[in-house]
Amino acid sequence: MAVAWIGNREALIERAAAHAASLLSSSRCPVFSFDTDIDGTRAAIALAERAGAAYDHADGAALARETALFTDKGAMTVAPGETRRRADVVVIVGELPRIHHGLVGELAGTVPDLSTVNQRAFFVVGPNGMSVPPLNGGREATRLSCGQASLAATLAALRAQYKGRRTSQPVSNFNDFAKALAAARFPVFLFSGHAAEGLALEMLQGLIADLNRKSRASGLHLPANENGWGSTLASAWMTGFPLRTGFARGFPEFDPWRCDVARMIAAGEADLHLRISAATAQPKEKKRRMALIVLTKTEKPVAGAAVTIAIGEAGVDHDAVVYSSRTGSLRSTEAQAASQLPSAATIIRLIATHAFAEPLPC
Amino acid sequence: MLTKIAGGDIIDPVNGRLGKGDLWIKDDKIVPAPAGGAADRTIEASGCIVMAGAIDIHSHIGGGNVNTARLLLPEQHAAHQLRPAMTPLSNAGWSTFQTGCLYAKMGFTTVVEPAMSPGAALHTHLELADIPIIDKATLAILGNDDFLLSMIRDDAPSTMIEDYVAWTVASTRALGVKVINAGAAAAFKENVRTFSLDDVVPSYGVSSRKIVKTLQAAVDSLGLPHPLHVHCNNLGSPGSADTAAATIAAADGLPLHLAHLQFYGYGTEGKRGFSSAAARLAELVNATPEVTIDIGQVMFGQTVTVSSDVMRQFSARGSAHPKKTVIHDGDGNGGGIVPYSYGKDFYGTMQWAIGLELFLLIDDPWRVFFTTDHPNGAPFTAYPALFELLMSREARAEMTAGLSRSALALSTLAAIDREYTFEEIAIMTRAAPAKLLGLTDRGHLGAGATADIAVYRRDRSIAKMLGQAAYVFKDGDLVVQDGEIIHYRWGKALRLKPPVDKAMVRRLEDYHQQRYGLSLDWFNFPDSAIAREQPFGEVPCRT
Ligand SMILES: [Zn+2]
Repeated sequence: MAVAWIGNREALIERAAAHAASLLSSSRCPVFSFDTDIDGTRAAIALAERAGAAYDHADGAALARETALFTDKGAMTVAPGETRRRADVVVIVGELPRIHHGLVGELAGTVPDLSTVNQRAFFVVGPNGMSVPPLNGGREATRLSCGQASLAATLAALRAQYKGRRTSQPVSNFNDFAKALAAARFPVFLFSGHAAEGLALEMLQGLIADLNRKSRASGLHLPANENGWGSTLASAWMTGFPLRTGFARGFPEFDPWRCDVARMIAAGEADLHLRISAATAQPKEKKRRMALIVLTKTEKPVAGAAVTIAIGEAGVDHDAVVYSSRTGSLRSTEAQAASQLPSAATIIRLIATHAFAEPLPC
Repeated sequence: MLTKIAGGDIIDPVNGRLGKGDLWIKDDKIVPAPAGGAADRTIEASGCIVMAGAIDIHSHIGGGNVNTARLLLPEQHAAHQLRPAMTPLSNAGWSTFQTGCLYAKMGFTTVVEPAMSPGAALHTHLELADIPIIDKATLAILGNDDFLLSMIRDDAPSTMIEDYVAWTVASTRALGVKVINAGAAAAFKENVRTFSLDDVVPSYGVSSRKIVKTLQAAVDSLGLPHPLHVHCNNLGSPGSADTAAATIAAADGLPLHLAHLQFYGYGTEGKRGFSSAAARLAELVNATPEVTIDIGQVMFGQTVTVSSDVMRQFSARGSAHPKKTVIHDGDGNGGGIVPYSYGKDFYGTMQWAIGLELFLLIDDPWRVFFTTDHPNGAPFTAYPALFELLMSREARAEMTAGLSRSALALSTLAAIDREYTFEEIAIMTRAAPAKLLGLTDRGHLGAGATADIAVYRRDRSIAKMLGQAAYVFKDGDLVVQDGEIIHYRWGKALRLKPPVDKAMVRRLEDYHQQRYGLSLDWFNFPDSAIAREQPFGEVPCRT
């Protein structure tokens, strides 16, 4: 089975890696995008330093909103385990990514064992018609909305009403919510940057801060992308900065606008794109004068790529460490169907050995 | 390979070796001078002092809360940028990669991360594995977790509690146990806002004192070398000296380590109701031989406080500078990140002076440990300046000139003449930490010891001398020369491996299934998950 291609031609993996390395060495403005495990992230960032590249998650926009909440404002957060054991009121804030629907269902199917209130009430904040994860047993979350107003506007209205201020458009079912909060010991707001704009995340934290003046409440961060949040953590410890950091000047610079890799590609700034993700995605449009190197789980070359190398999927083809929103931390997983396909990290290190004399530090 | 460090002033209090002489290294160990042996490599050390590599027992260098602080404060790095790129990611301000290099340049070869949340053990060890050159270790946090509090409430037998502590230490690969504001994080989840030694956690009816005493006894019975490491209640508040005094008294004959005592050295005198109680605490420590402490010295400037004392961090939100914080309710402790700038005003001066008073008034360098509680009192990069303050009365006098007079008037600092000697520094930063952590292979220069060695060229400026080592060896590798990293390598995380009781593992499996809907597998990890060749080094328990 072929595992590497130069253009459309099958190649030995060493040759393909060497070709990728030579493209990388001659690139003036390389960019990396990835959706990978911790080891893959570490190798990619170490290579980015050598190559002077900017790096980002493959689908970086939602993660960037979550990151901005932390870099700009801070937050009050709670662990998923404590949410399950303590939350007597659960508030779903905006549309949550599908990967978290199971957790929401589980919260609906259990009661908080560390609370004197042995039940959980569910609310959902967002415009009418917004999709809500199914709750167990046909339960329904009480809708808190201001018609078609945005999530941020609805949260602002909610916050104002909670403070006893008048609002131009009242939030539906507010009295139920106020009553639930008054009785609650530990309400938890589930949030994600998936569909929530930055202002909404900020407004939510304002509401949580208000609640904490007299009683307790917190927010459960359910990342838009688990691999993405894992990469954010690894990037923070390796460089001191989250994703959207670049090494153009030899040292890491975090700039969520300038190092937005999708923007750099669209604007024609990047002359090389290294894309690392087991999930195959055909590039939307081939940029002329931009070399594309793709590491993905594939049996055929990616159209338009100068180099394609097949990699395994973390946790499926090989053991991996990944972020888990069920534990709120990194987790070690065994390969579900171990295969010979190399990990992303292995191929990144292989490319590095062809481009640089010193091996990568990780 | 045989290396000779020739003609240096050797300072090795453990082996009573003080004065000019040679030190021999074979591979990764210190060896006796070989009979007629010729060195493969000779390091000329005349005009230098030669000590064991330094050991930092309490520095927040990695793990969930530290990393969250990085996320919160991208601007914190600006000052570190634009250094010459000598080592991988060395320009990365406040990164794991830089942490190892900066420590090594000062002659530190082992550093303990003192606050590992058990649920984030894998994350913590992955970060530590990306800290180059030096060895690391962790203390696992217990004392706010439902499993322990429930056992104490239900009067579980002490053997069962010991089994739980042993499982925690073994499964998280820790070198010891820390308790942080015992019970307060659990109480805070039930909306309690202040918490003292004899307050009880609401749903459990268990006092903070009871938690501390239970863990202290378990750590002792299990033969964990490092005594229970205690972060007391009421950190930072005026009158917290009373809490520290009560905790010292509670040691009651069994070993107990109190972390960052400076943050509890506060009385309530003066018109601001904030004064130095350092002399009182120092006297108590001097009179209580089973107690050891580290300081948590404050140095002036911008830093960030990173603590698993979530209740305290929540209450400190108003003092955040810049104005942003993270407060996290975790499975046990959680934590809080509050950036802070120590100014040379009344409060900053008071804290600075109290730390120094404690250093200088506690007589026994074997029981007082050199820390800034990095980054809480100051980043560890302030160590050279702090050494200078301890070793030079003149440096202290110079510094006080620009500080708050009204604060200094409430402190005894000006009246203290003591200057630490190099021998005392060698005890406080080498010999004593090794003893406190049960690391018999380091902290001294005797034959058979691990060749972790720091060589400093004498200089009028102590800060310069101790800030940029002339030579540093780690496991016999020459890693630093003239204050620069010349060899890149990977250290280990030192850990204990107490035997794990199978019945306890079954209990915990059931507990996790029932309470979290998850198998224990979600929290366990194999050594291979840490992508380094030999990520761990095992330290034996006492027998
Ligand atoms: Zn600390």
